[in-house]
Amino acid sequence: MKTESSAAYIARLAITLLLITAVVAAGLACVNAVTAPEIEALNVQKTQNAVEAVLPGGGEEIAFTDDSGIVSTIYKGQSGYAVEVTPAGFNGTVTMMVGVDNAGQVLGISIVNHTETAGLGAEAASQGAAGTAFRSQFAGMSGSVSVSKDGGQVDALTGATITSRAVCAGVNAALNAVSKLG
Amino acid sequence: MHPIVRINISALLSQNFILVKFYGICPFMGVSKKIDTALGMGMAVTFVMALASAACYLINLLLIALGLEYMQTVAFILVIAALVQVVEMFLKKFVPALYKALGVFLPLITTNCAVLGVVLVNVQEGYNFLLSVVNGAAGGLGFTLAIVLFASVRERVDKTDCPECFKGFPIALIAAGLLALAFMGFSGLKIF
Amino acid sequence: MDFKKQFKEGLLYKNPVLVQLLGMCSTLAITTSLFNGIGMGLAVTAILICSNVLISALRNFIPSQIRIAAYITIIAGFVTIVDLALQAFIPALSASLGVFIPLIVVNCIVLGRAEAFASKNTVAASAVDGLCQGIGYTCALIIVCVIRELLGKGTFGGGILNGGEGIRLIPAQFPAMQMVMPVGGFLVLGFVIAGSQKLMMHLEMKIKKKEEAK
Repeated sequence: MKTESSAAYIARLAITLLLITAVVAAGLACVNAVTAPEIEALNVQKTQNAVEAVLPGGGEEIAFTDDSGIVSTIYKGQSGYAVEVTPAGFNGTVTMMVGVDNAGQVLGISIVNHTETAGLGAEAASQGAAGTAFRSQFAGMSGSVSVSKDGGQVDALTGATITSRAVCAGVNAALNAVSKLG
Repeated sequence: MHPIVRINISALLSQNFILVKFYGICPFMGVSKKIDTALGMGMAVTFVMALASAACYLINLLLIALGLEYMQTVAFILVIAALVQVVEMFLKKFVPALYKALGVFLPLITTNCAVLGVVLVNVQEGYNFLLSVVNGAAGGLGFTLAIVLFASVRERVDKTDCPECFKGFPIALIAAGLLALAFMGFSGLKIF
Repeated sequence: MDFKKQFKEGLLYKNPVLVQLLGMCSTLAITTSLFNGIGMGLAVTAILICSNVLISALRNFIPSQIRIAAYITIIAGFVTIVDLALQAFIPALSASLGVFIPLIVVNCIVLGRAEAFASKNTVAASAVDGLCQGIGYTCALIIVCVIRELLGKGTFGGGILNGGEGIRLIPAQFPAMQMVMPVGGFLVLGFVIAGSQKLMMHLEMKIKKKEEAK
């Protein structure tokens, strides 16, 4: 029986642990090789769906300048632009797509990703009546939008003023970015 | 508002790690029978969380550089386990009184979801080095606040005369629920 | 090993959530719809079986000083596999459970069973133990989910039935939204555990009476 402090024993501990980690890493590499293309394809599909939801016919990615810090991508299509914006919501970042037509009016919005509270902020993305009504009111707006509590024209979601404000901030950034494109 | 202030306020109150986000419930229930052990546990967790946020930020840079993002969870948990070991050895040598008080609970920090949770959230939110450390420390302080408050409530709750089947854990959970209800009041606090 | 006994223990007498009080974080956090509960339960069950089997197979190979680190590495590996697989094949579930999938690594149930059972028993018994504990965990999650969803949203089977909206049992204006929020998690789990303790006491009394009758 070796003593606990002998160098050989410590080396054996280290090698065992290293071996296990190496095997786990190898296993994960195999799994990743299978799943990575699937995940990538799903993400592409998701973005494409979001673009098409707010910009009929979809669009191509174009270069842009952004001074709000929350515009991540702009797609240009036949009838206008789809702008991906990432405003800060209640729990974290809200990723959303805003469609803007060539005249600078909102075509529609769709929420791609969010971590808002279930039943409150999460309603903004839901397919239910409250969510649909909330999103559809943005269509046709232009210039600058804000919730009615802040003197604007948008009816906030019940109990989720902060999420509603985040969505407004996203829409404003998108309108602003598009107006700069000319 | 400056992101550091925002992260601090939300991690302490409106997005409290335990009462709103449900990270670290096990130590919250397990180590909350006495105020002083709760405080010690809270401090130890805060320390480990800030340290882990810093270490894992650097490790994550390395993983991204190597294109090994899928190893994140494995790498992070190993870093955390190693850190907890270091903290344990440090306390044993230099602060034996605290080591004695925390004794059994220290290894448990490894399996505290608050620590792994904060590291994963840092990566997900794309925080930079400073914001990651601030988020870790503030999250830990929020954990401490919740566990100390709960310990002071629980010292009384354990003496109450409640139905036999509610004794112990269930009544403590219900007390925690009422505490969470109070923290819900902070949810309007987040100002832009 | 007695399969029937292990099953009874996993489901009732040693239920990981209701009796051993393990894995509280996920039990409280994600139990807002039936879809989440079943998905999380199955993910944990799969990981439990895999990690139990592997750890049991390696139990004579891993030196005891580094066993916890070794167990955690193995568990983290399986969790990442499940995480990647869900992201690729069931993205809706992955989005809904979010960070709580990687957090299964620190779910005390998995490490707890590795340490308490798999490190001392044969591979077959460990697999059965993983299955039984996993089913016990899933059942507890489903109970909490159903209650919270009914009280908080007034629906049953959210995310699965009726095109994801769930079947509405209570008109939309009545449910107390707080029940799907953190407060509801603590309260409902408190009452569910109290209920299970009551049931346990009742069963014990029955057994005692039987013995006395003899």
